[in-house]
Amino acid sequence: MGRFERLGRPLLIGAALVIGLYLLLPTLIIVPMALTKSQLIQFPPEWISVHAFADYFQDAQWIASTIVSLKVAALATVIACLAGSSAAIALQGRSFRGKAIVTGIILAPIVVPLVVLALADYLFFVQLRFIPVWMKIGLAHSLLVTPYVFVTVQASLAGLDPALARSARSLGAKPPSVLRHVYWPAIRPGVLAGAIFAFAVSFDEVVIALFLQSPEATTLPVRMFTSIQYDLTPKIAAVASLMLGLAALALAAQGLVALSSRKPQTS
Amino acid sequence: MVAMSTAEAAATPRQRRRSRAGRLLLLLPVAVLYGLLMLAPIAFIVKTSFSAGLEHYRGVLATPVLWRVIENTAVISATTTLVALVLAYAYAAALWRAKPILRVVLLGLVLLPFWTGVLVKNFAWAALLQDNGVILDILRGLGFDTGGLSLLHNRFAVIVGMVHYVLPYAVLPIYVTLIAIDWHLVRAAQSLGASFPRAVWNVILPLSLPGVLAAGLLVFIVSTGFFITPIILGSPRDMMIANLVDFYAHQIVDFGGAAALAMLVIAGVSVLVIAYQRVPKEGQYGSL
Amino acid sequence: MLMRRVLPESTVQEADRAAGRRLELIGVWKRYESGPEVVKDVSFTLEPGEFLTLLGPSGSGKTTTLMMVAGFELPSAGEIRVDHRDVSSLLPDQRNFGVVFQRYALFPHMTVQENVEFAMRMRNRPRGESARRARGMLDKVGLADFADRKPRSLSGGQQQRVALARALVFEPDALLLDEPLGALDRRLREAMQIEIKELQKRIGISILFVTHDQDEAMMMSDRIAVMNKGRIVQIGSPAEVYQRPHSAFVASFLGETNLIPRGNERMSVRPERIRFLAPGETADGSIDGRVVDATFLGRQMRFIVAALDQRIVVSTADPAVYARVAPGDAVRLGWNVEDAQSLAAED
Repeated sequence: MGRFERLGRPLLIGAALVIGLYLLLPTLIIVPMALTKSQLIQFPPEWISVHAFADYFQDAQWIASTIVSLKVAALATVIACLAGSSAAIALQGRSFRGKAIVTGIILAPIVVPLVVLALADYLFFVQLRFIPVWMKIGLAHSLLVTPYVFVTVQASLAGLDPALARSARSLGAKPPSVLRHVYWPAIRPGVLAGAIFAFAVSFDEVVIALFLQSPEATTLPVRMFTSIQYDLTPKIAAVASLMLGLAALALAAQGLVALSSRKPQTS
Repeated sequence: MVAMSTAEAAATPRQRRRSRAGRLLLLLPVAVLYGLLMLAPIAFIVKTSFSAGLEHYRGVLATPVLWRVIENTAVISATTTLVALVLAYAYAAALWRAKPILRVVLLGLVLLPFWTGVLVKNFAWAALLQDNGVILDILRGLGFDTGGLSLLHNRFAVIVGMVHYVLPYAVLPIYVTLIAIDWHLVRAAQSLGASFPRAVWNVILPLSLPGVLAAGLLVFIVSTGFFITPIILGSPRDMMIANLVDFYAHQIVDFGGAAALAMLVIAGVSVLVIAYQRVPKEGQYGSL
Repeated sequence: MLMRRVLPESTVQEADRAAGRRLELIGVWKRYESGPEVVKDVSFTLEPGEFLTLLGPSGSGKTTTLMMVAGFELPSAGEIRVDHRDVSSLLPDQRNFGVVFQRYALFPHMTVQENVEFAMRMRNRPRGESARRARGMLDKVGLADFADRKPRSLSGGQQQRVALARALVFEPDALLLDEPLGALDRRLREAMQIEIKELQKRIGISILFVTHDQDEAMMMSDRIAVMNKGRIVQIGSPAEVYQRPHSAFVASFLGETNLIPRGNERMSVRPERIRFLAPGETADGSIDGRVVDATFLGRQMRFIVAALDQRIVVSTADPAVYARVAPGDAVRLGWNVEDAQSLAAED
């Protein structure tokens, strides 16, 4: 092997590791920044202290925002799971000419510019005063995250033998039974994986929540966003750490789902 | 003509009707959701944008700010795309040639960012790049006189933040194209007299181009829609088109103008998305 | 598809000169860092214009040996010489060999013409000359009409020929082929074997061929180097290695054989050299047995005879024998002394 080829690989790996560091760096400093004693964001932190976290837990507004975010994400996830799963089951197997178009429409929310969707939701919802604001945000988010559930459920359906549904029906099972006994066990891991990702995406979302916000319904990211524009405080770092923790949990949960779905199922 | 599976072909017409009805029923939730939350709201945008005839459009198009913002968006997106493509190509190439264990690590590093939101990322970059932040501290520690150098609230910070966000989106299409390339092609080129660098230039680069093109368009499309990053990491001079929509909606409180602007954004993005669908992605050549 | 065409003047002149140089491998070893010794003490000479095949089962080191000649692998020990010049440390692009890979490795983003021109481009030849020579080579392999097509629109056999043209256009010192016919179906394969052989004779180039198919090796080669577990166990003409195998491995790898014990040794006797003896008939060597199976295969009749605690295979092209001999018969098998090859007891 010539000089260039021999050097090529380690050089590439070296470059990739540097780039990987660039990708990882922000994540790495957040938790240490939250553990600082001072009132300023510092790295390395002055002294280990958890006052930043205490500040967060004692701040009624921030806790209220956290609860709003949780409610919003929960609502969005539930709706997305319903819509995404049923759509995936409906489109399973059969290929008809419209299938590509329908699939395209279902995946469209990912491509629509977020600010356009946010403005559209605002103009649409502003007149519906009877709906609580957090619900409006939850509904808007549900559209955003349905494609993710659709994709993961579709993937888990790919392994389902179409003969199973047919044989169930030939044995006299009505459609609801078929859904419950044939489809549900098959899509369970897909729904779970999609739900975890949907929850994470909704919890992190800023733009739509920004446009739809009201004083009682400010999600956590929106509060963070406004806060950051004023000053970078350890409290924000603490919240960011918790969000990172949530992301880590979500990642781990998805890993578990993936692992457990590989085990042979008793059905 | 509906292509039927063998099971359906074997079913009676009555069974087929029932099955179709069942499927339509299953599509109902998604249809209601999308109808209420995508089609209706967008219809509202269309309506609002035309609520004064073409006046809103005229007004928006006549404002000099619009053209500055469009220029910003184009320049920032283009810069982000270029930088991201260079870094992504190197990363994808490393992924391709790496030994299995290293490949898992590198893949993990590039997939992990998908789990953290843009806000957490921007916050971290703001903290890193601020005047008493880590980066400048390190530079000062190494002896550099940073003087009046500011790494935050400027174009540089915006690019750093945006490239960081879009990099994973750029790496994957390029990686997928690279692994489809048969390494024997490089060997063949060498046997015909091409040195290794020449073999890379004549074989690998041309074959990876479709992936690079697809990645570039994808990154560009994503870049144009950025909202948070210009605000947190940039200055007013870095205002992008999404910020302008926000400006019209919340600062000027001109919803007609905001809607008109939104329609223009949809038009622009649609053109880009159609271009993206047309790009031959990996697999057009593959290896023989 | 065979190429029967009147050869242009220049081709005849090419065939006259002794094309190619002498390739020598001297004591070549290949050891991987992880441990295994893949090629052990391999030595042979490829004379100018000769067709030499490295024949062996998978894992015998034949492809690795070829890769070392091509320059894609570095020998752990030993030398590779071209006309007495040591090339072992030269990069692949500095060696003057044409290589045809198992799956042809045609550049998918270039046309057939551009593929064939590639080597000339790398040697910085002027445009006109490259195009002319590429066109000439494509003519020779009968694909002039396909010059502007992309490789993926060609059939397997056509791609094979483009690969050959590409590797020959720059008049290399030798052609190295790594199981190039493996991906073709049997009929096409046999046709290509003939084509390659004829091409070689016409151009007069030295060929180092790697295959695991012994029929292929015997059909095409001037000499065969049989390899097993990294070593060359025998080199010789097809007739030599077939009729005079030095070991049981060679005997059973090249075609079918019977290994008949005699004293401390074993003898290799080919099924087609054994005959059924008539009562009273004698032969240099003979054993008694009972017919277990008889099969009519069209071009040959095959019998399995139980004798000496083993199954002896006897084959003949004579249908009359098939009529005479049936399963269950007690028979005497006989052969001539020159058809019994002595092998060492251990192999």
